[in-house]
Amino acid sequence: MEEYPVHFLYPAAIFVAPKPYFIKTILGSCVAVCLWDAKNRIGGMNHYMLPLWNGQGLASPKYGNIAIAKLLEKLISSGAQREHIVAKVFGGGEVIETEQSNFFIGERNAQLATEVLRTEKIPIRGESLRGKLGRKIIFNTFTGEVKMRYIKKNNT
Amino acid sequence: MENNETNLQSASLRQLLNEVNQRVSKHMVALEEASRLNEELKLLNQRLEDSEKLKSHFLSNIRNQIINPFASILGLSENITRVKERPENWKRAKHMARLIFDEAFNLDFQLSNIFAAAKLEAGDTHPEIVRVNLLELTKSTIQAFRHKCLQKEMTLELRLDLDQPEAKAFTTDPIKLKVILANLISNAVNFSNASNTIDIEASLRDGCFIFSVRDRGIGIAPEDLKVIFDRFKRLNPDINSIHQGHGLGLSVAKAMLDILDGRIEIESRRGHGSFFCISIPQNHRLAEPKGFEQSDDGEEFLFDDFEKF
Repeated sequence: MEEYPVHFLYPAAIFVAPKPYFIKTILGSCVAVCLWDAKNRIGGMNHYMLPLWNGQGLASPKYGNIAIAKLLEKLISSGAQREHIVAKVFGGGEVIETEQSNFFIGERNAQLATEVLRTEKIPIRGESLRGKLGRKIIFNTFTGEVKMRYIKKNNT
Repeated sequence: MENNETNLQSASLRQLLNEVNQRVSKHMVALEEASRLNEELKLLNQRLEDSEKLKSHFLSNIRNQIINPFASILGLSENITRVKERPENWKRAKHMARLIFDEAFNLDFQLSNIFAAAKLEAGDTHPEIVRVNLLELTKSTIQAFRHKCLQKEMTLELRLDLDQPEAKAFTTDPIKLKVILANLISNAVNFSNASNTIDIEASLRDGCFIFSVRDRGIGIAPEDLKVIFDRFKRLNPDINSIHQGHGLGLSVAKAMLDILDGRIEIESRRGHGSFFCISIPQNHRLAEPKGFEQSDDGEEFLFDDFEKF
């Protein structure tokens, strides 16, 4: 495998790779959107935990509506061209079944990604959403390829 | 034969009943979810209304909190340069230097909160986990507020039970932890009345760092407890309020607690002071989270059964 640097993306963070990178993360009910400019080979990823920021706490990329908008903004300011950007979306599993407040969190996270990308007119080229399992993903920002595998249990 | 048929019928009836029951309960869940979402929507609406007010307030607040301190720092330091070099002026100069320090300390605190909030909102904040001496970190954080307490003639009651060896090499993010502690202490000092006592306790329990601050200040009304983590939220938005700050402290502290998998508990009553208690687990992902197998040759991302997208 090529010798690119690796960035581990934590929940509520965003990473846009300045040069070819492997971005990896672990998802449970969280969703990660990978955006990639196929022509300029610039990629970035977010990792959000909840669908909508409703004024609670900071307006951070912990929330999907903010995370996707900010990722897109960062990607474009790093030289990506909007018309070449495509998306791949992962996560949104219902891995936590006990807590009432987490009802449908995975589902709502997944829905939000699809909706926001549709309104932003960014085509979704690949996705693995919902289900009962967590996921590990690795995004190659040079080729745009994302490798994914299911994992048993995870809370993030 | 007939018996068999009745059995069959009752079995399918039971199945049907089960099915109906299941669907009803699903509907109930959906209904509950809908009414919960409705509540959220109402809250959101109200917050939208508030946010415009907050924005304009933030701008005028900046004047109060940043430009004014700078003006007094400039003025005071200019005065010091003009003090004639005579022994009897030493005290005056020292006093002015102290005032400059106080203003600068406040400014530094406010600005670091603003920058921390900006970084968190940009998604640029990652945990940087190292081994931390909790006692040292706690002490030095408290130390920074000593002078402010002296000014307000407050007493700090400390109970730091952090002598165990585990507390000397606790894996967490020291910079974020410090920000969290500083904000809790700063709030307690700010919202206490002069000559109050503030209790600070720190200990290690079940592998978690427990830190609590109890003040005897103005307290928080129950309806306000929900919004104290909102950014720019100041419960007394009066520009002349004696309480300084942008209303970022608790929102920054909460976001950083999230990153460290920590929890916060609050007990408070209007007029009876507040009690803030945080607990932060030891962070085991020293270098990076578990789940990615690392092999010796560094080929850590060779999945055996991955899917390609």
